[in-house]
Order: sequence, then C-alpha cells, then structure tokens
Amino acid sequence: MKEYDIVIVGGGPGGSMAAKVAAEKGLKTIFFERGRKPGEKNSSGCGLGPRMWRSWPNMMKTLTEDKCPSLRAGRFARNYLVDKKGEVSAMILARPTESVAYEPAKSFITMNCYRSEFDPWIADLATNAGAELKCSLLIKGLIKENGTVKGVIDEKGEKYMAPIVIGADGAVSMVAKQSGLRDKWYHDHITLVPQYDFYAPREKIDLIMHEEALAIWWMAGGIPSAYQVFFGDGFHVGLGNWMHSWERNPLYYLNYVVNLKHFQRTIKMLDAKPREVQAHLLPWMPYPEKTYANGVMLIGDAAGFPCPLEAEGIFPAMESAEIAVEVAAEAIAEGDYSENKLKEYERRWQEESSIGTEFEAGPELWSVWKALPFNAKNMDWFIPMVSEALTGIFDWSEPHKVRIRQIIAHVKKYLPQAMPTLMSELVPLFTKALEDDMGKLMDPAIMPTLINSLPKLMSLMPDKKKKRRRRK
Amino acid sequence: MNINDFDLKSISTHIEGTEDFISIDNDKCNLCNRCLVICIMNLWKKREGKIVLAEDYKQKCVECAACYQVCEPGAINFQYPAGGTGVVFEQG
Repeated sequence: MKEYDIVIVGGGPGGSMAAKVAAEKGLKTIFFERGRKPGEKNSSGCGLGPRMWRSWPNMMKTLTEDKCPSLRAGRFARNYLVDKKGEVSAMILARPTESVAYEPAKSFITMNCYRSEFDPWIADLATNAGAELKCSLLIKGLIKENGTVKGVIDEKGEKYMAPIVIGADGAVSMVAKQSGLRDKWYHDHITLVPQYDFYAPREKIDLIMHEEALAIWWMAGGIPSAYQVFFGDGFHVGLGNWMHSWERNPLYYLNYVVNLKHFQRTIKMLDAKPREVQAHLLPWMPYPEKTYANGVMLIGDAAGFPCPLEAEGIFPAMESAEIAVEVAAEAIAEGDYSENKLKEYERRWQEESSIGTEFEAGPELWSVWKALPFNAKNMDWFIPMVSEALTGIFDWSEPHKVRIRQIIAHVKKYLPQAMPTLMSELVPLFTKALEDDMGKLMDPAIMPTLINSLPKLMSLMPDKKKKRRRRK
Repeated sequence: MNINDFDLKSISTHIEGTEDFISIDNDKCNLCNRCLVICIMNLWKKREGKIVLAEDYKQKCVECAACYQVCEPGAINFQYPAGGTGVVFEQG
C-alpha cells in the first residue's frame, strides 16, 4: 500500500495537467496511464484551441515542432456542401473573423496535432514537476470506506491511498461508475466517433491545403457531417453521432464520405495512404451531470465537459484539472474531503470558468448541432437551400434578373421544411446568448440613430414594370 | 483506391493480451441488435438466435466501448484490457 496526497486516474491532457499543477503545489501526486505511454489509447488527433495560449502562455511556448512534429496551424477551414448526387455544390471558407480579439486566435482557429505526441509532452511536464507516472497499468477499482473514496486499486491488486481521487479517465470512466456518479451515459449525451487516419507527405499538404489546413468539413445529405483534419504528415477523416442515431454501421457513413468523388480527388492530390482505423466515445451533452462525490472529482471527458456545440475537449479538460486541483489543495489544507467541501469544485467550474459560461447556453448549442450538422435528414434541405442562396447568383445561364427570380423561387420551395427547424433552433439560442444585453440592444435611445442612418425605403424601389432604356 | 476494400485489420495495431475483457450475458440480452450495428470491427454476430462475440476480438477490438454503452439491458460487460495490451493508436 502506497500513500499519496492525490491520485489521478488517467494520463490524457486533463490527468497530466492535474498532475502537473498538483506537483507544483507540493502535493505528493501519482497518475496512471493504461497505455504503454500517454496518447496511445482511445485518443484521436486533436485541435488545440487558442485559449490554451492565453491561459497558459509560458507552458504553451514550450510546445514546439521538435517535441510535437505533427503540429499544423489550422488557419482556415473549408466547408464543402455535398448534394444528393454526391457532388460538391458549394464551398464556404471559414477563417478568424474581424471580431476575434486576441493573438494567437487571430492567426489560427485550432492548432492541430496528434495525441500520440501531445499527450506525452504534457505528461512530461507533470513528471518534471515531480508527479509520479505509472504506465501500462490499469486501475481497476476505487477503495471506499464508509461511502468515501480513499484510494484506488490496480489490476495487480496494489493499493494507492489518497484522500482525493481525480477521475480523468475519459468517456468510459471507471471512477465515475464506481463512485456512483454515473453508470452509463444517456444515449443522447454520448457520441461514437469512427475515424480513418491517412499518411500524406508534409510538402503536399503545405502546397495543396496551405493555410486551409484546419479541416475540410463535408456536409452531405444522409450522413452526419464529417471532418477531414490535417496534421504535420497526414490527416484523419471522421464523423460522429449519438448512440441511437446510427441506423447502419458507422463505417458505412464514413466510407460514403471517403468514396465521394471529390474526396478521392483529395486523396490523389495529396498522395495519401490509409494508415490507421480508430473509434472513440465522445461525450456531447447539453449540461454536465454531477461531477463530485466524497473524496472524488471528475474532470475532462469523464465529467462530460467537451463543448456542447463542437465538442472541443482538451481546453475544458485542462481548465477543469486546474480548478479540481485548487479545490483539492484547499480540502487537504482543511482536512475536509467530504462531498460538502468538494462541491466547491462544481461551483467554481460553473461560475468562474469558461466551461460554466459555455454550458450556460449548452442546451441550445447542443440542440442546434443535433438538428443540423448531425441530422442527416435536415441536410436534405439545408444543403441545396444554402448552396442556392449563397452561390446561385454567380451563374451565366440566364440574365441575372431572371436568375434572382429563379433562386428566390427555389429557396422558397425549401422554406416550409426549413423554417420550423431554423426558428425553433435559432430563436432560443440567440435569446439565450443575448440575455444579458437584450435590454441594451432594444434600447429605444439607439433606434433613431439606426433609423436615420438608413436610406428611405420607398426611394430605393425602382419604378415598377417600366421598361428601362438608355438614358437620352 | 476504394475504402470498402480496406482490410481494417491491416490498419490497426494490437498487442494481444491473455485475459478476456468483453463478455455477454445472454440471459440479459433482449436481442435489440444495437451491438451488431454499432461495432465498426463487426465483432458481434447472431448465431442460432443468440448474440456472440467474435473469438478473435482481442486482435481486433479498438476499445471504443460502444457495444457496452449501447446495451440497454446491461448484458454486455466491458472493461479495458490489461495495461500495456490491446489496441495501439500510433497516430492517436
């Protein structure tokens, strides 16, 4: 039996961050990884959000290409809309917009890298700070006394005692289960994400994708939207959906994307070769459930923290790690490890972290994603309608006046299907997002300024039905 | 190149362990077939009206635990394989 101040189950970004912060506070810390090294199990290539550089600038400065060769800045993303025939019908480029406020967020949306390199990097920071890491070791159970968790037991029967256990053991969390916090996820709180990884020569990706290497999003009818994310010397393609939404094998949908003519073209252009098949569960929920119990706190995916719109998971995992360790240090100083003390962790992530702010609009954001990108049926109207509206005017088939009439008539055709979904998703979302400023936005004092700045509507309307001829 | 021609096994790496880590209790199984649909490696089969796990699952399972998660009657038992064994994601 070994004794520690804090035991952390899991050596992913959340577990390693928790171990690093705990060791830096002088706590006797151990963390466990079931793979031979961090990053080789149930992980996937990831996008690191720019908030990581804002929150931990000194630490992130040390994440360099020599430590993590797969790093690739994702400045722009392409969004391909694919029609029913499997042809790309429109493409939208997304890049950091004018309203993005700080560096490096102005320079990239995500910094992409493989977890097989990122996770060891962050685990090294923890061991360098003095935390002990045990790899190739599965933690099988929690040790409980009078309803309070007192430590963990490994697969060989060895016990590791600590007044605080942090569950950083991902979507299939043993800590959540054995502490009674969660048996299984509700089927619409967890997604399955199958992926193929492809090798592609670095210089080909540099040349062909260039700054657009964040991702290609493939939105197509009949499948949940797929992503193709680029790394140093390769890319992966994957898609996800909630557990009960799969009518056929998940690879059926993924193979559909890979076999699209346009996708096959990217494979040829990039000289890409299939390298690996992966699948993982990814919590994707409207609001997290309880994250603490006597002697236990859950962080990261184990707590259900991936963001409710796009499931960004690494930043919330690391942010929750910091908060959990702060609360753990206070609990240790006070000698109080009860649920009553540890609920301070939940209060802080809810009220004082970006996780809480994100989940304030969680149910609305989650619902939008569920209704649109991951709703194969709604894509049937969304894709032709958006393609028509955004790009239909750039066409030489008829005089542009005729084209405008054709486009409007065509878009109108989809409106009876589109409007109910759009209204019921977007009105609650915007109302929630703007709730603090609603009064200000509706302030009658700004109305005259706004109205005066607009030209008079009637004077803008051309004469009706009057043949236009050369001015004499 | 057609992705359907992939041999999935050829693009996954495993260190095979000795202990079983997935099992099914056929008395609890309600034959909903969700495990059959969801497993990307097709490790669940129906034989003589019973759901069975592929014998070579330890060489193929990618440890996503989808079968366990999707099983509402709780018939499928899943634990991670012994430390240092099972699937290896080299890119991750």
